Amino acid sequence: MRLFLRVLSLMVVVTPAVTWFAWDGALVWPLFGGATLSFDVTPLASFFLLLLAMGAPLAALPMLRKEEPDWQLALFALLVLGMQGLLLAQDLVGFFIGWEIMTWSSWLLIVRSPRTDAGTAASYILFNLSAAFLLLAGLLGVYSLTGSFAIQALVDLTLAQGLVLVLLFGAAFLIKIGTLPLHLWIPRSYDQAPEPVTVVLSALVSKMGVYGLLLMLILFPEMPGRWFGDWLNGPLSGYGLAWIGVITSIVATFKAIAQDDMKRLLAYSSIGQLGYVTTAIGVGGALGISGALYHALVHTLVSLLLFISFAGIIAQTGQRRFNDLGELIYRMPISFFGVLIGIIALAGMPPLPGFASKFLIFVALIEAQWILLFAAVILSSAAAFLYCYKLIYAPFLGQANSPEARVAREAPWPYLIPQIILMGMLVGLGMFPGMGTALADPVLAALGLAPLDGPSLGTLATPYGGYDGVTLMLVFGIAFALVTALFYMLRGQLRRAGSRQDLSFAGEVPTPDQPLHYGAGMGRELRRIPLIGWILARSSSGFFSGLAERVERLAEHSSRLYPSQPWRWVQSFVVVFAVLLTWGLVRGGGL
Amino acid sequence: MRALIDVPLMLLVTYTMGFFMYGFYRQFMARIQNRRGPPIWQNLYDNLKFFSKSETLSHGPMFFLGPMIMMAGAVTTVLFIPMLKDTAWLQGFSASGNLILVMFLMVVGPLGNALAVGASGNPFGVMGVTRGLTRLMGLEVPFFLGLALIMVQYETVSISAIMAAQPTLAEWTLVTNPLIFLVVLLPFIASLNASPFDVVGAPVEVYSGPRVEFGGRLLGILMTQNMMLSMAKYVLVVALFMGGASNLLELFVKVFVLFMLTASISAVFPRLRTEQAVDFFWRIPLGLGVVAVILTLWI
Repeated sequence: MRLFLRVLSLMVVVTPAVTWFAWDGALVWPLFGGATLSFDVTPLASFFLLLLAMGAPLAALPMLRKEEPDWQLALFALLVLGMQGLLLAQDLVGFFIGWEIMTWSSWLLIVRSPRTDAGTAASYILFNLSAAFLLLAGLLGVYSLTGSFAIQALVDLTLAQGLVLVLLFGAAFLIKIGTLPLHLWIPRSYDQAPEPVTVVLSALVSKMGVYGLLLMLILFPEMPGRWFGDWLNGPLSGYGLAWIGVITSIVATFKAIAQDDMKRLLAYSSIGQLGYVTTAIGVGGALGISGALYHALVHTLVSLLLFISFAGIIAQTGQRRFNDLGELIYRMPISFFGVLIGIIALAGMPPLPGFASKFLIFVALIEAQWILLFAAVILSSAAAFLYCYKLIYAPFLGQANSPEARVAREAPWPYLIPQIILMGMLVGLGMFPGMGTALADPVLAALGLAPLDGPSLGTLATPYGGYDGVTLMLVFGIAFALVTALFYMLRGQLRRAGSRQDLSFAGEVPTPDQPLHYGAGMGRELRRIPLIGWILARSSSGFFSGLAERVERLAEHSSRLYPSQPWRWVQSFVVVFAVLLTWGLVRGGGL
Repeated sequence: MRALIDVPLMLLVTYTMGFFMYGFYRQFMARIQNRRGPPIWQNLYDNLKFFSKSETLSHGPMFFLGPMIMMAGAVTTVLFIPMLKDTAWLQGFSASGNLILVMFLMVVGPLGNALAVGASGNPFGVMGVTRGLTRLMGLEVPFFLGLALIMVQYETVSISAIMAAQPTLAEWTLVTNPLIFLVVLLPFIASLNASPFDVVGAPVEVYSGPRVEFGGRLLGILMTQNMMLSMAKYVLVVALFMGGASNLLELFVKVFVLFMLTASISAVFPRLRTEQAVDFFWRIPLGLGVVAVILTLWI
């Protein structure tokens, strides 16, 4: 039975890949009363289906371990089905059904974890249900305006109608992406979810919000240029969204630096990275959209890689705080390389593809002449170096700071295989950055934008100039090989330090029991910088508890309107209903 | 084929300029402080001395590989910056790169340093790295803001194209848009790890910085890559603001003039603490940058 369940779940998990390769022709599924659900692979859906097809099997591997419970893989299969349905749906009803399946199955995955507390479970489902209800309101609005649920361009809207719909849909998707201040559910749920589930939440589920935001460009084709005109060279309607994205990424980056728990740090970094995507969608145009898609692709690969690596560390040591690890580099070398490749891509350093996607976003901002936004993106991108260094230093370098870290062994193969595959994919994509834009070009064509069309897969080409990934990788690789070989030959007498305490330590020799790890302290002194101190001293949970307090006070006031006996509430309800009914009948319209 | 001559020549040029400029810098500082100072060749002597040390202490493979990554990063950066204009020589691989790529390549070296010093297990070294990354966060914002204004002005990200667009003195960015130069100048000095922003590896007040565990030939590698990378940054700023150079002599003179300017600023101002430096960058150069954006784009 158990084996059967696992095989069945695994088959479901590879269905996105099958769909991506083998789909031809649309599928229409008739429901009752002439209503139909239709499914098809549009270019935009195809891009995100590819992310799902790559990510789902890799994320499933750690779930196959004996230690992981059965229900996890089964619920994950359901989650994959939900996301797939959402992507394939050609009408808003199918989209909504897929969205709900995704929401509930991911919630069940989180809520069954022993580490999840009631607050986290409640915040996850509250935020995601509000997203779903906003979506529902939006799709009913679309139906009332057009008489159809089909996902198609809505033209001839008045500005007010358009704005209401855009706000409803936009808020729903921004909750899913985790834009400030709607991100509150992300750090705690990513932290408390079982490790293999966090991988899925960050890498795949959050991308559905990005898909939704891009879907809005199809629904509202007149929004970018025509509604408010341009600001400098970009659409004014996207300017606000771009600032929302960049402020999200700045605040999330500083919050990430201040964390002392690995998964929480990664959760904030995930929020920050998706902030760039929001910014890029705000800029729009061929460069912006392809930068957004590219960054979504890179972030999927990177967050898969990093969350799986850290899942391996947590599985092997049982420690999840930076302070309690250290010196794992020679005990877990493959995980070390996984995290190293991951942070280089996350920080956007060449030659890995994190640079390619950021380059597209930078050039899009330069083309739009939104230079202040450009500087803000640079701020968050440069600050990200700090937490990237914390991610590699605290677990792998420095001095082992707990008994578990001293005896840890390399993570088991279900963690290592996906890491190795993902490292290969990231390096390959770094060498051939044109692959990402080639994948994004059909989406650009579907949105009516000019594709970027690089001359070869090795080149990332933009109208402002580009770079050649193959040359870059080769120059760096050859320089590194030559320098290392030459120096190794001329190294002279290379003496290995006698012990881990054989350090230049203010003229003293530290003892083994002296705490020499700098894991948790890193970044603490940043609070002395006024701006960062100001950001870190605030939190959006204050905003929400203030909101809750207001609502409670309002409820208190309105409860005075009711008498104290419950039956009187029913009575007054009946009276109000009767009055309304009469009023409606007198108006002569019926109900 | 040309690359075979270009690559060693470009590395040689940056190395030579590097030890000459820094040797001169030590003389210059000595004269300001009323000292005699070391000979101008002193930096070359020091470098050769490090490389002839018989014994080097290592803390394991990652500690050894870190300086190699730094050197490879510096070499790659040098090779992606075109040194001359109007010629096919000394272009390196700059046709395959661009300004944003070069700026990000400059961070690869510090990553190698950070990995190595982290692997050594010395907390002071890691503190130094954190200081460096914090300063980077401060300086990159105004630095990139200035560069973005240049890229908007010339509508390209290619360094060669920006150089080619400034054929005469009247078309230098320094002349057409001096405000950008003011925005970039101080972050540029900080990116060179020069005073008054040199708290990261501050030689006297702070016990140790990112270099703390390195000695012998590994320190020699660090010194070499630092000189080369610094000169690459000077060549880049000359290309962006002073119209580049058509021959090596012109390049040398222009770099020297710029070097004198930065050295004079370094000689005068006292050192800032890390958080003071970051706050300074976000107030003065960034404020100037915002003014420049408003003046050039919004109005």
